[in-house]
Amino acid sequence: MVILREGICPGINEDFIKALQSEDIRTVEDFVSFNPEELAQKCSLSYKALVAVRRVLLAQCTAFPVSAADLYEELLSSTAILSTGSPSLDKLLDSGLYTGEITELIGSPGSGKTQVCFSVAVNMSHQLKQTVFYIDTRGGVCANRLLQMLQTSTPDMEEQMEALKKIKVFRVFDVFSLLACLQNLRSNGLQKASVGGGSVKALMVDSVSAVLSSMLGGKQNEGMSLMMQVAGEMKMIAKDFNIAVLVTNHVTKDGNGHLKAGLGQSWSHVPRTRVLLQRVENAETPSLRTATLTKSSRQACRLVEEFDLCHWSEERSTSISAKRKLESSKP
Amino acid sequence: MHRTVPSLPLAPSVKVKLINAGFQVASDLIDMRPLQLCKEAGISQEEAVEVLQMLRDDAQPHQQRAATESLTALDLLHHEQTLGSIVTFCSGLDNALGGGVPVGKTTEICGAPGVGKTQLCIQLAVDVQIPVCFGGLGGKALYVDTEGSFLVQRVSDMAEAAVQHCTLLAEDTEQKQALEELTVEKILSNLFLVRCHDYVELLAEVYLLPDFLSEHPEVRLIVIDSIAFPFRHDFEDLSQRTRLLNGLAQQLIQLATQHSLAVVLTNQMTTRVSNGQSKLVPALGESWGHAATQRLILHWEGLRRLASLYKSPSQMEATIQYQITVQGFRDAPDEPRLASSSGNYSKRPRMEDLS
Amino acid sequence: MTARVRMAENGAQLVSRLEGRPSLRDIEPNIFPVDSGPRQGDVVEFHGMEGAGKTETLYHLIIRCIMPVQNGGLEVGVVFIDTDYHFDMLRLVSALEGRLAEDLKESDGSENEPEERVRSCLRRLSVVHCNSSVQLLLTLHYLENTFSSQPSVGLLVIDSISAFYWVDRFSGGESTVCQEANLRKCTELLDRLRRNYGIVVFATTHAIMRNYGSDPGVSDVPCSSSSSLLSSSHRWRSAESATDFDKPYLCRAWQRIVTHRMLFTKSPVSKDHKQVFSTACTSIMTKGVKRCSFHVMEDGIKFVCDK
Repeated sequence: MVILREGICPGINEDFIKALQSEDIRTVEDFVSFNPEELAQKCSLSYKALVAVRRVLLAQCTAFPVSAADLYEELLSSTAILSTGSPSLDKLLDSGLYTGEITELIGSPGSGKTQVCFSVAVNMSHQLKQTVFYIDTRGGVCANRLLQMLQTSTPDMEEQMEALKKIKVFRVFDVFSLLACLQNLRSNGLQKASVGGGSVKALMVDSVSAVLSSMLGGKQNEGMSLMMQVAGEMKMIAKDFNIAVLVTNHVTKDGNGHLKAGLGQSWSHVPRTRVLLQRVENAETPSLRTATLTKSSRQACRLVEEFDLCHWSEERSTSISAKRKLESSKP
Repeated sequence: MHRTVPSLPLAPSVKVKLINAGFQVASDLIDMRPLQLCKEAGISQEEAVEVLQMLRDDAQPHQQRAATESLTALDLLHHEQTLGSIVTFCSGLDNALGGGVPVGKTTEICGAPGVGKTQLCIQLAVDVQIPVCFGGLGGKALYVDTEGSFLVQRVSDMAEAAVQHCTLLAEDTEQKQALEELTVEKILSNLFLVRCHDYVELLAEVYLLPDFLSEHPEVRLIVIDSIAFPFRHDFEDLSQRTRLLNGLAQQLIQLATQHSLAVVLTNQMTTRVSNGQSKLVPALGESWGHAATQRLILHWEGLRRLASLYKSPSQMEATIQYQITVQGFRDAPDEPRLASSSGNYSKRPRMEDLS
Repeated sequence: MTARVRMAENGAQLVSRLEGRPSLRDIEPNIFPVDSGPRQGDVVEFHGMEGAGKTETLYHLIIRCIMPVQNGGLEVGVVFIDTDYHFDMLRLVSALEGRLAEDLKESDGSENEPEERVRSCLRRLSVVHCNSSVQLLLTLHYLENTFSSQPSVGLLVIDSISAFYWVDRFSGGESTVCQEANLRKCTELLDRLRRNYGIVVFATTHAIMRNYGSDPGVSDVPCSSSSSLLSSSHRWRSAESATDFDKPYLCRAWQRIVTHRMLFTKSPVSKDHKQVFSTACTSIMTKGVKRCSFHVMEDGIKFVCDK
């Protein structure tokens, strides 16, 4: 609801608003739904002024259609695929995290979600020299571990410190702070960061379920509303700034005992790509994990890859690449 | 900062009224006077004052810091190095944990009755007080006892052993001076004990903790022994339990981060049957498993007590052997020579129950 | 309302209305019932769980619209309103390239660069992102002008119309009328657009409400739900489906303007590891259900022929 107020756009003054209120028109939505000609007669306002105000208001408040051809052109130059630093995970994700999308990691406790986030952060800050935003809602960020991972890829202290500086950590522990954080990033934080050298290509939220699951359920709708607001903010950041967003979420069991993403049906539509991480039962190395693709618009689902959390950062990675079209890697 | 009205931490009913009065973003509200706002939005004057107060607080830089100002991982690394960790007096476990129980994080200790959870907690409550010159933290501890299993006698046993241990180590004058301060009485007086009988008391206690911690900034350890007991009974609505527990976990993580202290929670084990096999798993459900930053599982293997680090953001998984003596939580007498075995923690009859 | 619009009509608009919009009747005989493809002014709801193939099917249909006639397309302009911020241009293009290449094999295909052919198709599609139901409403008002001045535009896609459901439900407070106000206004406007300009509307709705047998108002989270929807759900009884998430939950005004409803389901993975997706399409014009199955491939969806 956008209330018609003085000064909302040129040409709207007190008398204008009063005249409209006499016809019970208080909001922009009401105003634009009336025909100017009819309104001019009813409220004895100038037809010309009404048409002009209507045009300006619509221009201010609506989103504008863009030709898909132009959009495609823009995407070709700006879309990047960011390597995660793990060949097996990259294979699953069709070469890495795509900018403009939300990718979700789900898994039981101790399945390696945070470790994957760490390694993606390290790979991006070190190999790709990009600034990474890391929103930590679980208190799980451990700079020492980030350093360990960096040490396996470079012995140079200077480089390690540089890479650590490129990882910006936010620690928020409730949904309102998370929303404040995301809205701040959207309104000025991201521009500011890219001014200071190095563009931002990735945002991580580890984990979304930590701050959301205590809000859901019960009789209030507020939790669902807040959840969709979080989703909306992340999607806008991903699209408008062309950033790869990586989130983690817990798992629940469905009726057949299969694992599925937590936070319910409404959330399930939010991420574009989803990867399930699992321990390998009775494996000789306890750090062995499988990653299963459970949602993707690019690859066949249920693809499975195995990886070892220990050897993560020893693998060398491919570099950032702008990709014109999708690889035809499917059978 | 561009805040939308639905995302503000206000009462739902107030938010609905603001939205329906046409207020979309915080900047629509911030310049209003309380009376004006209460007229336009149809809220009470108190509510209007509260809304404006909240918005002003939100605009303060120190309030915003957490949400809008990031730390670099490098800052965080320096910070972590100053925080340190609490030693357990069991070198195997200390190594597995990377030097002890980390400050600034939450650690969950799970295990069957009698395996030594409370023993480890009491040990930590004593060890957190070891003076800085001995490589300790010189802090105080808050112990929230929900089961009534806290025994002062055990504290004084362990405190005495710790004092003796330090006496043997003391070399220079600084250490000798510190020793004069380190007595069993002193250790007991620096341990704050709270008894909570049900989950309502526990939630209330945690709610009040920020004030307590501001008054006692030297507290470096909060123990809740156990988190499971008050939540395992009296709950008809399991989804409500999950919500409360999740909220509690977030509060505790916030405390650990903002007040630079270690939070240690204990949890019980429960039997879960899957594929026809019964298996002991930590209680309170799977979603609780995400709550703590680290999870340590204490379990029996035959007559041996083992501790397995099950999840940690910084350490590899590991299993070590320990024992519980009169002095406290200690290394097992002979070197453990174990294949790491995760999975089935078999429950054993309680034979040498110390607690 | 119609009278008022007529009043404001200029010559060009009159001509465009009389000339009529391009027809989408034959858009995809695999999906729509025989002789019951979307006529001018029809509203098709795509309903399904996440990953059930709604988006893929939408892209398939959009591609058919924007491809040139000589390649088997309809050459119809499409406006895509992306409320979910979910539109995947790269995916659409890779499917479009697949379709164009298919056609190229048949003809000699030397006349045009493939890149240019893609671009000329994409020029028929415009995309707009909306982040609130108010913005959606105002954008629809703005688009009215587009529809009246561009007779070649025949299809409006909204992905998804349910995007703001939870946020609006909270903002509306206790009153269902307030909760549904914005969507109802959008629907009224859509109704006008389809009647006056013959625009076909495709809109997706996410399946988020569970049918617990006779208990109507239960969603996947324990929330109470408005029960006014029960009556309208009877209209679609004939399309009984494998999922229990087919409950319509949007406001009644929306249920009323829907003329076709497609339910999307995903079968468990078969032996050959190929996921089979199925749709069940019902329309208020004809009895019976048109079912079809398809696979999702690199270059778009492939229909599975009935044995």
